Amino acid sequence: MHALLPFFQWCNDTAAGAAIRNSRVLFPIIESIHLLALTVLLGTILVMDLRLMGAGLRRQPLPLIARSLSPLTFWSLVTMLVTGFLLFSSEAMKSYESPPFRVKMVMLALALLFHFVVFRSAVKSETLGRVRSTATALASLSLWFGVAVAGRAIGFY
Amino acid sequence: MTLASFCQWLQDTPWGTGIRESVWVFPIIEGTHVLALALSVGVLVVIDLRLAGVLMRRQPVSQISNQLMPWSLAGFAIMFLTGALLFWSQAVKAYGSIFFRIKLALLLLAGINALVFELTLRRTVATWDNDETPPFRARLAGVLGIILWAGVIAAGRTMAYNF
Repeated sequence: MHALLPFFQWCNDTAAGAAIRNSRVLFPIIESIHLLALTVLLGTILVMDLRLMGAGLRRQPLPLIARSLSPLTFWSLVTMLVTGFLLFSSEAMKSYESPPFRVKMVMLALALLFHFVVFRSAVKSETLGRVRSTATALASLSLWFGVAVAGRAIGFY
Repeated sequence: MTLASFCQWLQDTPWGTGIRESVWVFPIIEGTHVLALALSVGVLVVIDLRLAGVLMRRQPVSQISNQLMPWSLAGFAIMFLTGALLFWSQAVKAYGSIFFRIKLALLLLAGINALVFELTLRRTVATWDNDETPPFRARLAGVLGIILWAGVIAAGRTMAYNF
């Protein structure tokens, strides 16, 4: 972990990080955008996870749902990563010490890996068995909600 | 009893004090309140975007709405329950917060928007159910819903700060 310290220090020293740190309103504004993007990101993923488990939009084929929702999922993810990095850069040294932040980053890496390697091809498939689709949905839900829980915990611990 | 003294009384009850001073209960309730955003507003956004003629335009509006609304309503039930518990424990702070007042006003407007839709357009949905672009007032209800709920979320998040 020590190897990463200079990177955290660099983020902390960026102009954006300093500007957000020194402003009373920037952090809450960026945090609100982060939360709005979370609502859309988790909401669209949830609709696909429900469908994978045979609930929600049962009368629509899964690939159609995935095609309709994936731009929303993608752009809300981009928004979360950008605003998340900005929030992080304003308190990078504090984050370095924070156990929930470390958990969040590990969960985020796993969630992204799962999302792009497994989930996105699973929801495009017409012929996914019951067991595989349920397992995909449960893994997706656990990983993304895990990221969110750890993220919320940063503010508490 | 004034509203302010009611808030003081409320948060001084054993439950209010217990939630506020707990190590785990408060974070768990607040965490649940945040996560249920995905189920309540997140799922509602998909319905509202169909209503606005943006998403799944070839799928009947009522089909999308009927299949997803129970999930969204379950999410809102969790939101109101956890929100009430959070208010219970911090009633005085909430009462004094301008952002809490803005949040309540926006909640009321979002409720009125939904009610007006249910009482008017919803009753004629059979005549425009398959429209790729629903009537103007239906699209307006969808867009307004998204804007109002976004405002509720932003105001709720900002309540944590004192300006």
